[in-house]
Amino acid sequence: MNLRNFWTMCTALAVLVTGTNVWADAPLHVRIDAAVGVGEMEYDSLAADDVDDATFVRRIYLDLAGTIPNTEQVREFLVAESSTKRAELIDQLLASPHHARRMQYLFDTMLMERRPDKHIGADEWHDYLRKSFKENKPWNQLVNEMLISDGTDEETRPAAKFLLDRELKIDAMTRDLGRIFLGRDLQCAQCHDHPNIDDYLQSHYYGLSAFLNRSYLFTDPKSKKVSIGEKADGTVKFTSVFTDESAETFPRMLALPPIEDPPKAEEPYKVKPEKNVRSVPVYSRRLQLAAAMTDPVNVAFRRNIANRLWAMMMGRGIVEPVDMSHGGNLPSNPELLDLLANELVEHDYDMRFLLRELALTRTYQRSSQHREGGEQPSDDLFAVALLKPLSPEQLAWSMMHATGVSDQMLEELEAKHVESDAENGPAQILDPFWREEALHDAIKADVETFVSLFGSAGIQVSNFDASANQALFLRNGAVLQGWLEPSGRKLTARLKILEASPLVDEFYFSVFSRPPTAEEVQQVTQYIQENKDDRDSAIGQLVWAALSSAEFRFNH
Amino acid sequence: MRRNQGCNPIEHVMARRQFLAGSAAGAVGLGVLATPTQAVHLKHQQKRILQIFLQGGVSQLESWDPKPGTVHGGPFQAIPTSVPGIHISELLPHIAQRMHLLSIVRSINIKINDHELGRQFMEKGRRVGEFPYVGAVASKYLARPDSELPGYIHISSRGLTDAAGGAAFLGAKHGQLKLEGVKPPSNLEVPTGLEATVDAGRDQLRLQFNRRFGERRSKALTEAYDASFQQAAKLMSRKAIFDGTASKKDLERYGTHDFGRYCLLARTLLENDATCVKVTHHGYDSHAENFNFHLEQLGEFDKPFCMLLDDLKDRGLLESTLIVIHSEFGRTPKINVRYGRDHWGTAWSIAIGGCGIQPGAVIGKTNDTGTEVTEREVDAGHLFHTYLQAVGLDSSTDHDLSGRSIPMGDPAAQPIKELLA
Repeated sequence: MNLRNFWTMCTALAVLVTGTNVWADAPLHVRIDAAVGVGEMEYDSLAADDVDDATFVRRIYLDLAGTIPNTEQVREFLVAESSTKRAELIDQLLASPHHARRMQYLFDTMLMERRPDKHIGADEWHDYLRKSFKENKPWNQLVNEMLISDGTDEETRPAAKFLLDRELKIDAMTRDLGRIFLGRDLQCAQCHDHPNIDDYLQSHYYGLSAFLNRSYLFTDPKSKKVSIGEKADGTVKFTSVFTDESAETFPRMLALPPIEDPPKAEEPYKVKPEKNVRSVPVYSRRLQLAAAMTDPVNVAFRRNIANRLWAMMMGRGIVEPVDMSHGGNLPSNPELLDLLANELVEHDYDMRFLLRELALTRTYQRSSQHREGGEQPSDDLFAVALLKPLSPEQLAWSMMHATGVSDQMLEELEAKHVESDAENGPAQILDPFWREEALHDAIKADVETFVSLFGSAGIQVSNFDASANQALFLRNGAVLQGWLEPSGRKLTARLKILEASPLVDEFYFSVFSRPPTAEEVQQVTQYIQENKDDRDSAIGQLVWAALSSAEFRFNH
Repeated sequence: MRRNQGCNPIEHVMARRQFLAGSAAGAVGLGVLATPTQAVHLKHQQKRILQIFLQGGVSQLESWDPKPGTVHGGPFQAIPTSVPGIHISELLPHIAQRMHLLSIVRSINIKINDHELGRQFMEKGRRVGEFPYVGAVASKYLARPDSELPGYIHISSRGLTDAAGGAAFLGAKHGQLKLEGVKPPSNLEVPTGLEATVDAGRDQLRLQFNRRFGERRSKALTEAYDASFQQAAKLMSRKAIFDGTASKKDLERYGTHDFGRYCLLARTLLENDATCVKVTHHGYDSHAENFNFHLEQLGEFDKPFCMLLDDLKDRGLLESTLIVIHSEFGRTPKINVRYGRDHWGTAWSIAIGGCGIQPGAVIGKTNDTGTEVTEREVDAGHLFHTYLQAVGLDSSTDHDLSGRSIPMGDPAAQPIKELLA
């Protein structure tokens, strides 16, 4: 019995015997596994087997590094004998430049929901996010920066994108603060209290909007740059459409006590409002927002991010949809959610810590195939790994990896860089961060093509869907066809010079990140044999079919 | 402004249900609590929607609600139509002859004067929030599973961005397939040099990979993915639809200009099982020279639309096709210094007909000078309910979604009952 299993058993036993978890000092991933499926009679009989190494390596690369591994990375992992090789790979990926990029993509999508850029350019915003994830900035700090920046200081300006690009429109802002940072869509409470559910009150909605009701967009007359100004007065009143009762509220975070304004100062402004002047009050309601949001008493804040990180790894939130936490849509496993949320706070909102622990769980490392002869367990049990559709960015990077396009591109970029800078070039091209950035810049346009076709603007729903336009693009589009041209170092060029058996092997490792089964070797060999008159074309069709298959489309 | 704009659905509806269940008679509570699938509400006959969007805001005074000889009336006359008592602008002579097939709603007040917000409200029946367009709803609930074409197709010459193709939470496959004029969709052609047998062969390989992957896995996601390839294949096999060729006779009737060709394509699509076809006719935002603009624009619109109407009728499709002609708003009664009319969401009109609609009716009224609605005021929320009810969908029930419970139409609005056949 390995250590992990030992701990799991002990914890489970302790829970069984004492009814409480006395193994509070067991590693978090062990406690997570002990909490999953608790009280669900059928969990143990439904839980899928551990995932095999090859599937694990593809899964973890996609989740943490945002792309499938290349053939060497898979082969290397499969032959490694270390008993802790999965944990080692997790650590290696979390420290890689690809992880910072993956988190940049994910959080950009989560925070900005693919809306068109308004006042802060995409590049500076992406750089800000990536840098934050590279240094593993705690979530509360990141949120703090985003809500505090008024956009006047060039240094912190990119962080103001969340507010500035929503143009401080009060209803959109209030709704998105609730959805994205608190996991609740308070839109309904704009009109009235919920009559049956205690946790959606009109005062919550307006309490949140009262943090921002005095703020406005200010356009600098010279530079035309837009930043946030604020007034020293302004109150928030609301009326219920049901009862016609009116109320007024100070800023407040959901059910927490309101934050009353201090007694009005004789001079309420640091900078007085005048034409073409950005006013700054002595007491700013907006500046209370970040502190109130990230205050440990605001439990919704930690649950939201814990739930979102869980969903990122497991394919579904404990609260699902992730922005719909309320009394009528309770977490499927409240103890589990609290465990994650509280541990995250214990570890100062260290998201990398939580992702690492999630990746180490047996829950994460289960197969996506249910048991032989068994049935598919309900998704919210997390007894089987759920299929996760690749994001547009993951799909683009993975297709370029699989087809060898990115390797070839990187090689050209390296050669060019060495040529242009003979002194530093040779050393720089070995730096993983240089390599990642060079490649990213080179393939950016292609990634954007995928985003425009496979992504959608607005509230991000986790449901998978696929349109005819997407399939036509994959079937007939020039982009993918170009990647299948057998030239240079591309996969189709590598395959066409191989004999049957190594060909099948290289093909499976490159596209599916795994060795083929005996049956698959036989099938593909036969296919190549049947089409030997036009072998090159047959190889192209083979790679196309694999790239367009469900096995490639999902992280499984 | 209404207080309850954008009220989201979920809790709201639950609340209403429980109110009713608790306070009203059991029968009422039961009726509201029941959520039968939409399929049950549908009659068996396939229903369709043809949406003509006059982009920019057509003037109600130069179209459906003329006020000749009044202070804001402008230079054009009103003419009698095939329905005694209904007069429309002389700029629509062909429609006038077919008025008995259509109805007019003259009392729309959306309280919005912004192109984008108005357009969204007219499409979604909600002022704010992410809700599906009427075309996406049609695609989801009216399209047959084995339909040969995507459920929602939009023919337009210029880009208007529609987030998620207007599908919102209904999913990409119900988003609009946008056609740039009569040009076929992108990537409809098999890559050059790829023979049909090879193309079929590679698709067999794809399915072979999928079969293996599908073992002991949930089918929902993989099947949705495969469905997108099937739909792509259908589009490719029906690509002749998009080849833009038209008979000489059709071109004589419809005209050779863009809008005529769009209407011809719309006819072909509707004949070929498309569920919602939207045709956008651009260029009604007449802040200057309103009258010259409308003379030209409506001159281009009137005849081809009527040819399409005639053809749908001749083919027996009219009774199963809802036709809506709308803008994002109307135009100000007051004529500005540049002989233009400006944005006006306060008192304007649409025309509607076909499936489920009482023909030859006029709903609502504006005052003599057209500055306000005096009778039967409605907004886009009422219109949205009306469209759905007309094609046999119960717009007061929830969308068929897991995890979310969202009413199709705004619970605060109702259909215009007297317009429904």
